[in-house]
Amino acid sequence: MPAPQVHQIGFSPITAHSFNGDRSEVILCQNTSDVQIYDTRNWTVKATLADHDKVVTSIDVAPNSNRIVTCSQDRNAYVWNYDGQQWKPTLVLLRINRAATYVRWSPNEDKFAVASGARVISICYFEEDNDWWVSKHLKKPIRSTVLSLDWHPNNVLLAAGSADTKARVFSAFIKGVDAKPQPTVWGDKLPFNTVCGEFANSAGGWVHSVAFSPSGDALAFTSHDSSVNIVYPVEGQSVVLNVNTSGLPFMTLFWPTEEQIVAAGHDCVPFLFSRKGDQWALDRSLDEGNKKATAGSSVFAKFKQMDLRGQDEDKDTNLNSVHQNTITELRPYSGQRGATTEFSTSGVDGKICIWHFS
Amino acid sequence: MSFRRIDIDAYDEDRVTEDELYADIEAGSNPQEIEAAVQSRGTEVRNLLQRGNERQALSLSLQDPPYGRNLDTAKSNNTQTVMDVLQRFRAADIGDVVKALSKDEQDVLMKYIYAGLAKPELFNPAVLLGWHEKLVEVAGPGSIVRVMTDRRTVV
Repeated sequence: MPAPQVHQIGFSPITAHSFNGDRSEVILCQNTSDVQIYDTRNWTVKATLADHDKVVTSIDVAPNSNRIVTCSQDRNAYVWNYDGQQWKPTLVLLRINRAATYVRWSPNEDKFAVASGARVISICYFEEDNDWWVSKHLKKPIRSTVLSLDWHPNNVLLAAGSADTKARVFSAFIKGVDAKPQPTVWGDKLPFNTVCGEFANSAGGWVHSVAFSPSGDALAFTSHDSSVNIVYPVEGQSVVLNVNTSGLPFMTLFWPTEEQIVAAGHDCVPFLFSRKGDQWALDRSLDEGNKKATAGSSVFAKFKQMDLRGQDEDKDTNLNSVHQNTITELRPYSGQRGATTEFSTSGVDGKICIWHFS
Repeated sequence: MSFRRIDIDAYDEDRVTEDELYADIEAGSNPQEIEAAVQSRGTEVRNLLQRGNERQALSLSLQDPPYGRNLDTAKSNNTQTVMDVLQRFRAADIGDVVKALSKDEQDVLMKYIYAGLAKPELFNPAVLLGWHEKLVEVAGPGSIVRVMTDRRTVV
């Protein structure tokens, strides 16, 4: 596996990042209320979107229509359109009284979902008559802040991971926007706010991230007990496979293929999980590290250390990984859905990395 | 800063209650039955210890711990049982014993180690720290995270 491309954007945490459709720009937030658009040819700031007044928590770019949606702790979301000269924001009526935490466009790019601390998910769609984005709330049975979302490829089902330790699958069917969906493994009758499944693992822990498999027939979620859980829906009794790991909790995950999951988080390293038969297991770390084990300390090296740093030991505080702090977000970078060849990560260390995956 | 001490959620009609949070854990459990089960397991474990079968005693003591609220006696009795077992091992054997436990047993053991460390006046912290060191080597920081995350507590 070739070494990842590393881009040190700054030294503040990157709360969210998203590449545009042709990967010529990356839109990110460095833990401030500003959203920055970087040109990926020379990694300079092309534009700054400064309408939010609290930290921007999530960013998503619609790859085909090239619209950016951002949401923030200020309880607002904006949809940004490029008119040829500059990015113009459109306010979205979220109707929430707590911070917005996570936003994602639906696969058809005709609606998006905003998660929030107000125990609701706002499903937003465009209303031509008024020329703004309105929302409908998914409310029941969420009992705490929603931390992550993922759309099913059919544009109707939505998975949500919440701090009430549950991962859920909802129907976000909007009359007038969606055509009647084909029956899926998650159910066939899907009016708005149908709960198609509610899943938890035994140890609990707030759910940091959820993701549908490329086909949409399975769901993975990761929670604060350092586990990755894979759900296969079966009528009546769904199968939840639990993989506990010995490391720190994961913050984010996605499926490069139907048989593999990449998860990353507080261990600063992306891990690969793979399916073997009916079981899932931790396969390996995708970060090989770059430090060589110190091959015995020579007297010369010791005196050199003392001379250079006034220390007789090598007090190297760098981690043996590409990211030097928590990885906040993982996203597919290239390849079709279900056959990802590269993915990108952003971290609290201010880095954006692009990893080759095979 | 006193306004920060006001529990604004108390004024929310739709607030989350403790009963809801424990609903899954306490579903179908009966405090008296649990207490009786803990008692009889304690006796069984002590019998095994008398016969010198420490490893089996450890596995048995980590089975099916009492979870939920209002189980103070059952919980403290069970902690006592586990602590009695932990004291019987020689420091040199601990590494092997820990490796032989299943993943779930390792997680439960970690919970009891922390439960014991919380009461240094009752249980010898030196012994528990010895166990903790070996257990972290095998089960990693993940098992500590699970102790902190899990609502199924043993104290």
